[in-house]
Amino acid sequence: MSSNVSLSTPRDGENSLRRPSTYRFLMGGLVFSAVWSIFAGARDPASWIIGIPAVVAAAWCYASLAQDRRHRLSLLALVRFMPVFLWESFKGGIDVARRVLGPRLRVDPGLLDYRLGLTLPSARVFFVDLVSLLPGTLSADVQGDRLRVHALDRGLDPAGDLRRLERLVAAIFGDDGAMLRS
Amino acid sequence: MDVADWLSAGFIAAGLVFFVAGTVGLLRLPDPLSRLHALTKADNLGLLLIALGLLVRNPDPLLGLKLGLLWLLVLAAGATGAHLIARRAIRADGEGAQ
Repeated sequence: MSSNVSLSTPRDGENSLRRPSTYRFLMGGLVFSAVWSIFAGARDPASWIIGIPAVVAAAWCYASLAQDRRHRLSLLALVRFMPVFLWESFKGGIDVARRVLGPRLRVDPGLLDYRLGLTLPSARVFFVDLVSLLPGTLSADVQGDRLRVHALDRGLDPAGDLRRLERLVAAIFGDDGAMLRS
Repeated sequence: MDVADWLSAGFIAAGLVFFVAGTVGLLRLPDPLSRLHALTKADNLGLLLIALGLLVRNPDPLLGLKLGLLWLLVLAAGATGAHLIARRAIRADGEGAQ
C-alpha cells in the first residue's frame, strides 16, 4: 500500500519573507477552492463573490509564508495519529471541565520549558498547536528550539507526553529531528 | 422521539456542558494563560459533540465532511489564536504597559 503523498515544491529560499512561489499559489488556490465549495456549496455562483477573494487571499498567504523544503507526508502515520489525537483532545476537554466546574478550582498554573526536537517548520507549527489541545498544556511561546509550555497543573509533568506526541508528528512529516534526541 | 433523536439530543446536551465549562473557566480562572486552556480545550470538545449530534439527526456524508472540516478549522484557529495571545501576555510581562 502506498502511504506517501508528495508535497514537493520546485524551489525554496532560506528566508521567511520572499516572493511567493507561483506553484504554491496555484496549488493553494486549488485546495482552498475545494474547501470553499465544501463550506459554501459550489452550485450557487453568488457564493463566489466572497469565495474568490477569500481563496486568493488564503493562497497568497500560503505561498508567501510556507517555508518547507520538499518533503513527504506519511498518510499511514497520519492514520495512526488520528485516534491518539481524538482521545487526547477528549481527555483535554474533560480535564479542564472537571477542574473549573468543581466547587474548588483545582489548578496550580505555571510555565515550563520544553526543548523541541522537530526541525521542519510545518511540523513545528503543527506540534505547537497540538500542545494546546492536550490535557493541561498550552503552548505559550517559541524562541529558537525552546517551547514555553503553560501547564494548568504543575504537579503533572507533561514532558513525557509531549515527547511521545512529538514522535508521532515527526512520523507524519518525515522529520527525523525528534528521533535523534531522546 | 426515536433512538436517533435521543442520541442526537444527548450529544448536543453534552456539547453544551463543555461550552458552559469553557465559559465558567474563562470567568473563574485566575490569569489570562489559564483562561486560554478553558477556551481551547473545552470549546473544541463541545463543538465536536454538537457536530456529532447534528450528524446523527442528518447522516449525510457531505454534511459530515463539512462539519469535520469546520471542526478542524476551528481547532487550528483556536490553538493558533491562543498561542498568539499567550505569547503576547508572556512577552509583555515586565515590559510595562503597551
